[in-house]
Amino acid sequence: MPFSQYFRLIDVMARMALRADASRFFLGYIWWVLEPLLWVAVFYVVFVVILGSQQPDFLLFLATGKLAFVWFSKSVTQASNSIVAGRGLVGRVNAPKTLFPMAVIQESMYRQIAVFALMITFLLSRGYEITVTWLYLVPLLLVNYVMIVSCSFVGACLVCLARDFTPLISLAMLFLMFTSGIFWDVRDLADPYKTELVLTVNPVAFIIDAYRQITMHNTPPDILHLLSIGAGFGALLCAMVLLMRRGSQYLALKALTA
Amino acid sequence: MRETRRVMIELVNVSHSYQSKRKSFDRGTHHVLNQVSLQLLEGETLGIIGRNGVGKTTMLQLMAGILAPTLGEVRIHPGKSASLLTLGLGFKPDLSGRDNALLAAMLQGSTRKRAESFLGDIAEFSELGDSFYEPVKNYSSGMRSRLAFTTALMTHVDVLLIDEILSVGDAHFRGKAQTAMKNRITGEQTVVFVSHMADQVKDLCDRVIWLDQGKIAMQGDSVEVTDAYTQHITKARKAGRSQQA
Repeated sequence: MPFSQYFRLIDVMARMALRADASRFFLGYIWWVLEPLLWVAVFYVVFVVILGSQQPDFLLFLATGKLAFVWFSKSVTQASNSIVAGRGLVGRVNAPKTLFPMAVIQESMYRQIAVFALMITFLLSRGYEITVTWLYLVPLLLVNYVMIVSCSFVGACLVCLARDFTPLISLAMLFLMFTSGIFWDVRDLADPYKTELVLTVNPVAFIIDAYRQITMHNTPPDILHLLSIGAGFGALLCAMVLLMRRGSQYLALKALTA
Repeated sequence: MRETRRVMIELVNVSHSYQSKRKSFDRGTHHVLNQVSLQLLEGETLGIIGRNGVGKTTMLQLMAGILAPTLGEVRIHPGKSASLLTLGLGFKPDLSGRDNALLAAMLQGSTRKRAESFLGDIAEFSELGDSFYEPVKNYSSGMRSRLAFTTALMTHVDVLLIDEILSVGDAHFRGKAQTAMKNRITGEQTVVFVSHMADQVKDLCDRVIWLDQGKIAMQGDSVEVTDAYTQHITKARKAGRSQQA
């Protein structure tokens, strides 16, 4: 399949899914903005009203972390099931298997554009300004995207091999949500060595922290660290593409028979 | 004349098996095809006949390159596209009939523009009316089969692999579909037609392969093979009845 056809298909599949999804709900496309707004409302009730957090702009801190994380977790979880969910098509066309997770990733990327727009609105409404430092968002978003794609490909292959990976992947996302400094600041840990350790060991924590550093603290992220994460996941991505190409028919068999 | 025709798809000693969780098979291994060899020539209509579950669909999936054989080799003529047309599977239920048709055509290699150019004909031939723009999950099984068949008919590929596609739908549409299919088959189109309905195969195919328990039981002239198959089925049915009695 030529490249242009491949990307056109991803785009068409994503748009169709979005349209079908919107038509299922009474509020349609409004959900794109409503869902993240509801998240923030829940945070407000829990952390500000009930727990009485005194930290300035804690709500914004939570929203930035959580909404960036949701992009990763939702994409990877849904993309992991995509080949198995698309087995009707898998059994009918010898299509590249990466097409299925890519369509899901594209779909959540379109949704995430609305979420990021909302986040920027929050930031501006709280008096934060868009500065030159925000340019660092470009490589950050790119690395985040590569991370999503490579993890999705791994997940999609694993679920093909055994459906048991579906609950495990959801559990892994829950684990990451609690360990990546979404509800707590990785920089507030008493031991600076621990902060360093979390940021080094967990790339998701680094990415989330980088979003906050750039938008809330006007500080560029450790670019070398960012690039090494990008290179690592980029290598994983290349390996997965090769693997999924060579094992295309094996994956189809597994998706159809397991 | 047949000798001069190009071989479009060739199966050489192809065996296919897969691991199943159910241990009722050979230690969980399900043997679908066993040492099957055949050639599909350009422009011919090859019928594959056999009871449900003898490996007919798997054979088409091997020919389309969707699955790889466990043993043996599947050779597809370089640069030729084979497309599998089947009912039931393949629809995304949340998408409209239109979107499903567009997606199917694009997955078979059409550009978006070309795929869109098919849509008018598909809407008309399938007689779906406004339902063409409704989600497929609201369709009756007859409507689904009409959409599937029409989408299949309108897309143009080198080798058509047809899986039980003419066996559903109401009498009016079935007649119309069969005529359309015949027109397509009598042209230059290379077709593999799978069915468990002997009459249809006899009517449409030049050559027939009878598949039984993963092996080729008989192959050759469509009348001879389908007659032998029908006799075999009738005998098996009678034997079953006398056992019950």
